[in-house]
Amino acid sequence: MTAVARGNLSAMSDIYNHCHRALFRFFFRLAGRQTVAEDLTHEVFLRMIRYRHTYQAGDGFESWMYRIARNAFADQLKKHRLESPADEGQLEVVASGRPSAFDDLSKQQDLATLYRALRELPEEKRELIVLSRFQGLSYEQIGQIVGCETGTVKVRVFRAMKEIGKIFGDLRKEKAS
Amino acid sequence: MMCGQAKELMAMAWAGNEPDPELRTHLSVCSECAADMAQLSLLWDRLGDIPAPEPSPALTARWESSLESIVSARRGTSWRFSLAALWPQRPVWQVSIALACLIIGIIVGSSYPRGKNEIAQLREEVAGTKQMVALSLLQQQSATERLRGVDYTVKMPAIEPDVVAALLQAVKADPNVNVRLAAIDALTRVSGDAGVRRSLAGSLGMQDSPMVQAALIDYVLDARDKDALGVLKDLTARPDLNPLVRQRADRAVQRLTEYK
Repeated sequence: MTAVARGNLSAMSDIYNHCHRALFRFFFRLAGRQTVAEDLTHEVFLRMIRYRHTYQAGDGFESWMYRIARNAFADQLKKHRLESPADEGQLEVVASGRPSAFDDLSKQQDLATLYRALRELPEEKRELIVLSRFQGLSYEQIGQIVGCETGTVKVRVFRAMKEIGKIFGDLRKEKAS
Repeated sequence: MMCGQAKELMAMAWAGNEPDPELRTHLSVCSECAADMAQLSLLWDRLGDIPAPEPSPALTARWESSLESIVSARRGTSWRFSLAALWPQRPVWQVSIALACLIIGIIVGSSYPRGKNEIAQLREEVAGTKQMVALSLLQQQSATERLRGVDYTVKMPAIEPDVVAALLQAVKADPNVNVRLAAIDALTRVSGDAGVRRSLAGSLGMQDSPMVQAALIDYVLDARDKDALGVLKDLTARPDLNPLVRQRADRAVQRLTEYK
């Protein structure tokens, strides 16, 4: 990114190749829609070029990138309030691309319920789970991204997990009855 | 250890860190935290089983096209970019340079005091030119041009003595009633000048137009020119005076007398 900040825009290709999947998955798990996630991923790379001068070599690249991504997502929410989240059907579409010999129907259903529980979490909590569980960022990095202390991030992640656990339990009971 | 601290350590454990010995101890004595740890750790692992979606190839194609157009547009305006590269990117430096320019500007500006004189001189020259134009227009054959000349004097910031004299001459002798009326209006700005008032009061007796007579009567009344009482009385004594003008003159005499 330092090369890009100095004006070598062609170096953005390497950054794209390295990061676009992670960014796409971040947006997909937040928005639950393929097209929205792709639009936002594209937008983030354009913003990286536009705001390249704000990148400072000492700061972590990932934190900088996810800060841009969060802003892009917030702008998207302001512009078009995202419609209903993806449903279990969408999870099946995602899962169907990579079948596993060990997968059985019950496990698939369980995962779909868990995915639905994730989708039902409030946005700020879902974001924390996505950043920590799926994007593999450290709590320190998440603190830099969302602008709070590392200890606060840990407590919030715990609370988010507690809430998703409750939603997941409720959804399972609902299905069983 | 308190349960609050245990929550942080549980989150640390989920992130792949070795469970803290203090956390182990706490979990062995706090059944609630132990239950949370067991249930939520399982859930954390299960979340990892949710399949990872893949972006479509269209995204990469779209990005490559965008990047190519940005790079080629940048090549086309490379000189602009090289100029832009001279401008610092950090706001702190940008503000510093702007302040430095401002300070240099103030210092350079204040070291040229003659600039003020030059501006004043220029203003004088412009005013002189306007005066010349006004005087020239007042000399024109066409009544319309002379009216333009009177109008020009109204727009001047200050009326010079030459212009006042030309306007007084217009009130006295201009053959066109409209020009005379406009000149009387233009002279309202200098009604504080006793010489102007005297001259206008003197021209009252020479006027044959009832409209100009009425305008001059209003002028001396507005200026509270008590010296004009004699001229007004002479005017009212004229047998051929327009009745409306007479009425106006009588009222002016009465009011000016009251001012005494």
